[in-house]
Amino acid sequence: MLWGPLPGAISNRARSYYKLNLSNDKLSGLKAKEFAIAKVDIVSDPSTSNETGVFETSHSFDNHRLVIQAAMDILPLALAVVPWGVLCGSLAVEAGLTPLQAQFMSLLVFAGAAQLAGISIIGAAGSLSSILMSTGVISARHLLYSAVLRDDIRPLSLAWRVALAFFLTDEMFAVTMAFKARYKVFSPLYSLLTGFLFYLVWNLATFAGIMAGKLLPDLQQLGLEFAIAATFIAIVVPQIRSFPVLGAVIASAVTALACQYFNINNGLVIATAVGMVSGFLVSLKGEDTWT
Amino acid sequence: MDIIWLTIVLMAGITFYCRYLFLANALTFKLGGPIKRMLQFAAPSVLTAMWVPIVFMSDEGQLTSGLDDPFLLAGIGTIALSLVTRKTIVVVGLGIGLFVAAKMVLGEI
Repeated sequence: MLWGPLPGAISNRARSYYKLNLSNDKLSGLKAKEFAIAKVDIVSDPSTSNETGVFETSHSFDNHRLVIQAAMDILPLALAVVPWGVLCGSLAVEAGLTPLQAQFMSLLVFAGAAQLAGISIIGAAGSLSSILMSTGVISARHLLYSAVLRDDIRPLSLAWRVALAFFLTDEMFAVTMAFKARYKVFSPLYSLLTGFLFYLVWNLATFAGIMAGKLLPDLQQLGLEFAIAATFIAIVVPQIRSFPVLGAVIASAVTALACQYFNINNGLVIATAVGMVSGFLVSLKGEDTWT
Repeated sequence: MDIIWLTIVLMAGITFYCRYLFLANALTFKLGGPIKRMLQFAAPSVLTAMWVPIVFMSDEGQLTSGLDDPFLLAGIGTIALSLVTRKTIVVVGLGIGLFVAAKMVLGEI
């Protein structure tokens, strides 16, 4: 079953994201490490430019610079997700999807963790309802992202809202929040660009995986999870400028570790909720900032 | 329709629905004060819940205790870097460099 303990061969780090148990007959021909599908939605860092960015000082955005900024910010995250895209493509074919279906899964679903879970269930000849349930559980965190961005995106036209929703991933959310934190403004164009570039890379990686098939390079051994950790650290730590945020981060960190240590399912969701409530409770005592 | 095509389309529907729900105009309610304040802490909370286990949990599911773990060493180094400079790309680049260096020093590569 999903979200259960991973097979021993799988790195525990991988479990930080999406816990997938791919140990079914159909897939068991693959090397053990390939089961370590801890899918990673890698994140990038959004704010690479200096404090006094053009976005901050004027409301007439320089689109050219915005494009470059978006590309620079999403690039590390997009590169970090390449191995997972490759894995997704090759496992999909392995599980019995046609190459066209494997590609369309990335084109339409565009959710690494949900795709890998779905693929593993398809490979195990699981039921459609179990696939859809796992998709729902894994995708639930996106509800949170859309709630956070609601006030920024809702005034936009239908086309913008649909497009931004379609490209809303962990990575796009992270760089968007970092952009907002830095420039105190939400840029639909910036977010759309980061989302689209990430989409492009994800699908190219999937394509490579479909083509490569079983000739997978030893991607699991590279420690790619660390790229994700580094990016998230670079985004989160600078945001810790008040006691409520510090409280949220500490509470979320402790909860995430506890969930992992005691093998509690859905640790990501639980830790996020605990962090948010903790931040809120601390904020009731006043928004003390120290910078 | 092929069951796999159907699966893909339904999965796409679910993932899109989760991403779009709160952006829909049809949903007219206003998020209440406490909820809004909690949402301010969503980004740091969810990102922390993702990176902390990578840095502080060992492959065996134990808390990292030794200094022979490149994830722990480079993770602490990256945190220190992020306190010194706010340029994300510098932190990420040097952080990954630290990780590679730690692996080399520890003889893992």
